[in-house]
Amino acid sequence: MDFERWLHILPLRWRSLARARQLDRDLDDEISYHLEQQVDDLVARGADREEAWHRVRRNFGGVQQAKEDCRDARGMAAIDALRQDVRYAVRTLWRAPGFTAIATLTLALGIGANTAVYSLIDVILLSRLPYAAPEELVSITGPYPNGAFAAMRRELRTLDVGAYADGHFLTLTGRGMPVRLAGTRVSAELFSTLGVTPAIGRWLRAGEDESPNDRFAILSHASWQTRFGGDPLILGQSIELDGQPHEVVAVMPAAFEFPSRRTEVWVPLRLDPRNTARYWAGDFMPVIGRLRHGASLADAHAEIRLFQSRIGARFPWKMPADWNKDVSAIPLHEALVGDVKTRFLIMLTAVAAVLLIACANVANLSLSRAAARRREISIRSALGAAPRRVAQQLITESIVLAFLGAGAGVLVAAEGLSVLKLVLPPDTPRLMETYVSWRALLFAGVLAIVTGCAFGLAPVVQAARARLEGALDSGSRGSGSVVAAPLRAALTVAQVACAVLLLIAAGLLVRSLWALSRGDPGFHADQVVTARIAPAESVCGTADRCLTFYRELERQVQAAPGVRAAAFVNTLPLTGAIAKRSMVLAGYTVPEGKAAPLFWMHAVTPDYFKVMNIRIETGRGFTPADLSGGPAVVIVTSATARRFWPGGDPIGRQLRFINERNWHTVIGVAADVRGFDLARSVPDWIDGAMYVPHGPNATMEDGRIPSEMAVVLDTSLDTRRVTSILENIAARATGPIVVDDVRPMTAITAEAVAAPAATTSVLVTVAGLALALGCIGVYGVLSFLVSRQTREIGIRLALGARPVDVFWLVIREGATLCAAGILLGIAGALAVTRWLASELHGVNPTDPVTYAAVATAVALVSMAACAVPTRRAMRVDPLIVLREP
Amino acid sequence: MSKPPDLMQGTLDLLLLKILALEPMNGHAISVRLKQVSSTVLQVSDGSLYPALHKLEQHGWVSASWQVTENNRRAKYYRLTRPGRRQLEKEAANWDRISTAITRLLDLGTIQ
Repeated sequence: MDFERWLHILPLRWRSLARARQLDRDLDDEISYHLEQQVDDLVARGADREEAWHRVRRNFGGVQQAKEDCRDARGMAAIDALRQDVRYAVRTLWRAPGFTAIATLTLALGIGANTAVYSLIDVILLSRLPYAAPEELVSITGPYPNGAFAAMRRELRTLDVGAYADGHFLTLTGRGMPVRLAGTRVSAELFSTLGVTPAIGRWLRAGEDESPNDRFAILSHASWQTRFGGDPLILGQSIELDGQPHEVVAVMPAAFEFPSRRTEVWVPLRLDPRNTARYWAGDFMPVIGRLRHGASLADAHAEIRLFQSRIGARFPWKMPADWNKDVSAIPLHEALVGDVKTRFLIMLTAVAAVLLIACANVANLSLSRAAARRREISIRSALGAAPRRVAQQLITESIVLAFLGAGAGVLVAAEGLSVLKLVLPPDTPRLMETYVSWRALLFAGVLAIVTGCAFGLAPVVQAARARLEGALDSGSRGSGSVVAAPLRAALTVAQVACAVLLLIAAGLLVRSLWALSRGDPGFHADQVVTARIAPAESVCGTADRCLTFYRELERQVQAAPGVRAAAFVNTLPLTGAIAKRSMVLAGYTVPEGKAAPLFWMHAVTPDYFKVMNIRIETGRGFTPADLSGGPAVVIVTSATARRFWPGGDPIGRQLRFINERNWHTVIGVAADVRGFDLARSVPDWIDGAMYVPHGPNATMEDGRIPSEMAVVLDTSLDTRRVTSILENIAARATGPIVVDDVRPMTAITAEAVAAPAATTSVLVTVAGLALALGCIGVYGVLSFLVSRQTREIGIRLALGARPVDVFWLVIREGATLCAAGILLGIAGALAVTRWLASELHGVNPTDPVTYAAVATAVALVSMAACAVPTRRAMRVDPLIVLREP
Repeated sequence: MSKPPDLMQGTLDLLLLKILALEPMNGHAISVRLKQVSSTVLQVSDGSLYPALHKLEQHGWVSASWQVTENNRRAKYYRLTRPGRRQLEKEAANWDRISTAITRLLDLGTIQ
């Protein structure tokens, strides 16, 4: 390929397209210059000007012809033809408004759904993270405690690292009603590692995360606006968080969300080696890093593996050999989107299937029209249109139609996207950043062209056949369209199959969701209202004071009118809050190389089991006496008892926290509660769950007792009344107390269903759409078959066939198509639904009930779609049909 | 008046490339030069000259620009591009090959 030649050619081609008029004028000028120059020459040689003009024109030959040839030379013929085709296509479509409207709508739904989902994927999965040089950012899998992170920060040579501990709530006081702010503790370098600059203010400086006396705060843009009225003088001010003054050093830009949109304030980690327990066992934090100059991901990975091999020995106690043994460095982007990827791919597959169905539908419609237009096409061929031109014309028409669909589809996409934003779980990363971007528009454009060609092909194929038949003489009716029938049948079968596939996928998700939400969560709290109680340090500074406060609070709440019972718990089920403790179990040996069993510790008051309706299976529940520091007692969950004391009686067993001496005695076994999510009691990395009385023995890893508690109220009051009762009580307390998150337990359960419900509802909608489009397809093809056979039916009726015979004749064709589609769809579903397995709980990807239900439903619905054409067939009047020419 | 022989396919392109190899020219000047060099043996109607020039331009072998002539009028000047020069060499060699072959064939005929 002569590259240099193309340097000349490409600008010319561009000019031919964009500057056609200018080039035509240039051509006129060039030729008239030539003619005039020749005339001048002749005149100079003594000829008469008039005479010379004639001679020159004669010598030149046809001026118009020469100009046309020149235009052809620069490829104008093709461009003119295209322009003609587009104009013709627009006129044709305009004359068939019904067809155009239905086809546009169908395509708009298909293209719109795809564009909406693509817009999401574009931002969430494909686009770069909004940080400087995001390709250098890595995530170190496996959380590390403060001490390990501090070592990592000192020793790693390939990475600059930052760490964060999410989910620390801080009570803001001294500005009206105390409020709880969602806080994230960060290392000093976290923000510089991410490479973001604050909207105003400065970063934490190196070392500002080490001393317990360093008290700085960085506000999110949203909290700056809502909590501090956007005060422009906020920098340098002191705000009171958890009773301690913190200096505000920066406000983040509005778009910044890390690790999630929830964070309202960032405060420094306190990497204090003197507090051994906190330093080595407190927050286990995710670590991110930025590759230093010249280092690759593989280098970082190798170094972190090396680091992992020596860090275990530096813990003040023996770390299990398998702790973080699979640690690796992966791109940060991958780490952030990992969880949501599957869901989006499911959605994309589903909407792609809908687009296929839409295309098949439009192809079917176009075929019907092509059948009706056979005469027109034949005439054009007879008048000398080359087969290629006819095909080009039909394809152009399809693409124009597809662009109409894409245009309307963009509107559908914008609408669909705003619905998706509401439906999808709010912790979906970067959800709010999504919009119908120009890339999505480009995507719609490409889809339009591809789909246009796809459904445009069918009539082209048919037109080719039509030419073979030389169809001018075959009249308007009869056997001519037989050729298209198998094609149309195939398209219909494919449509029904796609719809069945989607419905089965949606059906499985619905059943899984049903299993989740109907499954026994272990608690029954239809009439329970919950709230978070966060007392300030001055109220809950010491265990004694804190417990006294809660006993008093409990007494007052229980006495409030309309409250039947009240109890407290540190971690409410399904809220994501977990309190973990490493345990030693008497008579249980930890397998070699494994960590000590990790238990989820619920600190509760005695009435908790009653309020939440959690069954005590054996033994007894807690009594008020257990709260006040008598012999330490504990209740384990049923699954925990089965796992650690299989076959034996758990009552009377002993266990203790790994860093404490006093043994707790098991006094009861409680029913399992779906505490982590609706499918699981505890996350994979936790081994068991237990309840301890909220007393002096309920110590957490840092040696304190839980000071933030959730109150659960058995009441018929609404949340507003509950709020005011709690706030009134809180106002009378000795120090600031934040009451928030007041909501019914049912709302918490519903929220836990929300994430799987989002995928499910999207898929159900899409599957419904697919079924509707598929039915239109069945209806269309059957109507077509009936209209083709009108004459035949008429003859049969005239010869004595009964309407019921006609009924069977028609319905058989419809039923064959549908049955083929359903079988194909089921085969497809058997092949692909195993990809759904990770999203399914309590239902098998090959669940026969779902398959049977979908097959039956589709059969019924598609038979309904057959009804109208069948009725029409049965009402054929032989007299009229047979008299037609 | 006897009709001059038609130009062989591609010959006009070769002639035009050759003429433009000497210096950039406008269409009219090319037409005059064509008549001069080929006397009247090869006659090219002006009507086919321009499509040929435009085709060469679209192939990237000549480039065109508007310039002012000595008598102060705007005219479109064609010049040979570097790929055009290479094309000229290729076609000239080709022509040599074919004409030699044909000449030899014709000579053969006269001997018999």
